[in-house]
Amino acid sequence: MALVFATLPGESSASTPAAAVTEPAVAAAAPAHDLILCASINRSYVIGSKMVTFSGLYRRVADGSFEHFGPNLLYLSAVSLDPRDHRTIYLAMLNGALFSRDGGERFRIGTSWDMTEPKDIAVDPNAPDTVYLALPDGFAVSTDRGWTWARREKGLPDRGKYTQAIEIDRTRTGRLLIGCEAGVFLTENSGTRWRRVLPTRATVYDVRQSPTNPAWWIASTQRDGVHVSRDSGVTWSRIKDLTEDGAWYNVDFGTRHPDRVALSSWNQGIVVSEDGGRTWAPRNAGLPADGRVMRVGIDPDTDALYVNVRSDDVYRSEDFGRTWSETGLKGSTVSQFLFVKKPQP
Amino acid sequence: MTMFSRRVCSRAGWFALGLLLCGSSVLRAQPSHVGPMPSALPVSSAEERRAAYEARIQEVLEWYTGLVKPSDPLIGDLVGVSARLALGRDLERCSRSVIELMKTPGSSPFWMFPTAGVAYLGRDKLSPEARAAIRRAWSSVMQLRGDTENHWAMYYASLYLMAQLYPNEPASSWYTGKSSEENLAEARDYLIHWMRLATTVGQGEFTCSHYIGEYAIPLTYLAAWAEDPAMRLRARMMLDWIFADQFANSLDGMLHGANARTDDTSVIERWNSLSSFFSWLLLGNTPPPAAYGGFGVYFAAVARHYDLPEVIYRIGVDRGGDFTQRDLKRSRRRWRGSDVEMAPIYKLNYSRRDYAVGSYQGGISDPIQAHVWDVTWAVPDPRGVHNTIFSMHPVSSMDDLQMYFAEFPEQMMRAVTTEGKASYDSPDKFLGASRYEQVVQDQDTVIALYNIAPGTRFPHINGFFSKDLVDLTEDESGWIFARGGNAFLAYRPLAPYELQRSFVYRSSWTGTKQDAGDRRLYSPHLKNGTIVQAASASEFPSFSAFQAAIRALPLTFSLEPVPTVSFTSLRGRKLEFTHGRVPVVNGRPVDYSAWKLFEGPYLNAERGSQKLTLTHGRLERVLDFNTLTITDRIKNP
Repeated sequence: MALVFATLPGESSASTPAAAVTEPAVAAAAPAHDLILCASINRSYVIGSKMVTFSGLYRRVADGSFEHFGPNLLYLSAVSLDPRDHRTIYLAMLNGALFSRDGGERFRIGTSWDMTEPKDIAVDPNAPDTVYLALPDGFAVSTDRGWTWARREKGLPDRGKYTQAIEIDRTRTGRLLIGCEAGVFLTENSGTRWRRVLPTRATVYDVRQSPTNPAWWIASTQRDGVHVSRDSGVTWSRIKDLTEDGAWYNVDFGTRHPDRVALSSWNQGIVVSEDGGRTWAPRNAGLPADGRVMRVGIDPDTDALYVNVRSDDVYRSEDFGRTWSETGLKGSTVSQFLFVKKPQP
Repeated sequence: MTMFSRRVCSRAGWFALGLLLCGSSVLRAQPSHVGPMPSALPVSSAEERRAAYEARIQEVLEWYTGLVKPSDPLIGDLVGVSARLALGRDLERCSRSVIELMKTPGSSPFWMFPTAGVAYLGRDKLSPEARAAIRRAWSSVMQLRGDTENHWAMYYASLYLMAQLYPNEPASSWYTGKSSEENLAEARDYLIHWMRLATTVGQGEFTCSHYIGEYAIPLTYLAAWAEDPAMRLRARMMLDWIFADQFANSLDGMLHGANARTDDTSVIERWNSLSSFFSWLLLGNTPPPAAYGGFGVYFAAVARHYDLPEVIYRIGVDRGGDFTQRDLKRSRRRWRGSDVEMAPIYKLNYSRRDYAVGSYQGGISDPIQAHVWDVTWAVPDPRGVHNTIFSMHPVSSMDDLQMYFAEFPEQMMRAVTTEGKASYDSPDKFLGASRYEQVVQDQDTVIALYNIAPGTRFPHINGFFSKDLVDLTEDESGWIFARGGNAFLAYRPLAPYELQRSFVYRSSWTGTKQDAGDRRLYSPHLKNGTIVQAASASEFPSFSAFQAAIRALPLTFSLEPVPTVSFTSLRGRKLEFTHGRVPVVNGRPVDYSAWKLFEGPYLNAERGSQKLTLTHGRLERVLDFNTLTITDRIKNP
């Protein structure tokens, strides 16, 4: 499909043809980003049984494998870090929104009984004392670094505000989009008022802003296809090449190759574009045959592609999905790949 | 997958314990489980009732403590420790065992409540080291709150009690990261919120065959150990409330009719449930299930703290005659795919000596384990008897699952079936409720209509035909006649069907099935329906006379464009019912808006009132959550 690219001054073009893609030299220096995972490794755990595996937060270590840190937490949906101090960690998990001030050793459940099972959590990079929380019955904000939470749902529908995903517009303070059952909603005042910018027929599973082109957004849905916006999430169009029968879990953009995009899907596995979304191709060869790809992430330092196949492993590809290798996180189901910029020394 | 385990398998602890105990039960007799049927006659003397109650408690505790040999160095589980602490026995070994058990704390309400129970039962019995081990365990491991009302009842009752036991301790000493006072306040707020909800618009997990334990146990803990007199009283009143509700819906101690949640076994062998343990313990009118239902042992350890009011006892065991009870309940919380957060459930129970008929209006109250309606007949001994008849639409649906579960629905199906609900995706199951089923009940007549959308995974309905039916006759009139105990039953399928062999689920985990001799009415038609009419054998000179009476009843129906029925019941009541419309009885539409929280001869409460009046004969007890009072009265004759 033909896409009109809105390239802003200072942003890289999103129209580079696929054939022109070459692998930039990977910096020999240590990566500029840490990779943190929310992972459940669940060998038939049920409530009431003993946890015999380690779930929760994992981080990538020097040899490319992952090590667990923090408490053993099942049902962890999302993690977010304070950009000023990575020892401040926020979690969305079954019990609510948690925060740690010591790098994940101890957590406090910041929410009470009236907020449960949050699906996403995000620190506002423009106002890092503010944290946003996606709830199955709406949306909440903390302005005191997770200690207290208040609902901000004006403009969200009474029904249909099941909220799965949060994406903060890094270029404009107080502007964020959320993915809900009834579509994508936009606020320009930190949730004080919302308006729907994309109605959908099924829950929006993810909303993401391109790291290189702030006007370029993609929203993936449960069974209403994948939608793209070229005007910062104000108007949207369906990506016609991508089936509605996808259960498109998440989307991630390339940084080193700004035209690269990857989508994870229950039905389709991993699907990528290397031409800014003009064409799409599955990249499942080398992954388990019936792979249910839960999550995808693109390393901003190397463009290495990470995917998680449900209850199987995390796979890594250095050639954007043409070949894959296991990373050894056996049995894992990942709900988030979070690349965070390492603190400046 | 992870997400489903906690919710659909919230009885995992119960299952695990049940497996353990059922295995043991063949080795050590459980006197009342295998003994003769208890007398159904009411016991007039309060002292005798209490003595019998305490004897039953003792039986449970003795049985369980006897499972561990005196030579075993440790007691392997918290329930064993609880039983010993309740008996005041073997205390040194209890302490050693607690220290060992606390080295690997659990992570859920199913660990929290037994631990809280041991902490209180052992306050003056366990060693300081054992008590310190418990306290440490509550500091180090994140306890999952779960996502069902029973999870939260257990979670917050346990947190409340532990925070109370260790006041003034800092946030850093609790897994929540909150201080004792913060934990106590949060738990208190939730518990009061839940009680308010249940006493204004009805319980969510109503008349459950097993989950009653997950409420009764933490409520008894609170009633026994909460230092705040108001919380103690609230818990005591909620115990009365749920037991009164449960026993009003029991037939000779067997829970019957609609359940928010039951399981593959209990839905056809109605006695075989934890609910029967409570009937046995508190009413004494039915045998307990194997291993006392698993959770029964936990309850027994604290049961001496509760005394069933006579009015509730009488409601359970001393029925004057036929009665109709209407109750308002609510569905489980709906996250999405619904216009309402919680749908009202209009529940009806018509009870007679020989049988009982119960239902709600159809639709989904719980996505997996609901049971909408049945006719259940009385039997001399219910053990192993499948004394029920009903039809249902078996549902296996991502849409239904995601309505109630805040997870990716694509992953739920497999999780449900592999983590404790093996029958969920099976077309031959008898467990579950369907959005395509609508039901009207009037006394002992039920009409269930089905308008199943094309493309639905299982495009058929199942009717349960028990091995224990006798004289089953497929009549040329289209009716199927049978006898169940002293009940005459007439079942009218509205679409073509065949009777097939049916298999009983022996394990909800493995999906193991066994041919017990039951049959399944299989009717593969999207537009469908069932009419059931019951009567007592004593009403007719013969079974054939009953059949003749049924054949003579006015009945017209059609299935297109939607199922519609006009039927005049055996009681002379004209029922007109079209799928998608409000049913009409004797020319008047059923007025659900007028449905009270409870309405009947025994339980009465206005919607939103928080005030339940229990009545039996001259006895009256009023549970008033507005004033936090219990008022007992003996009415003038």
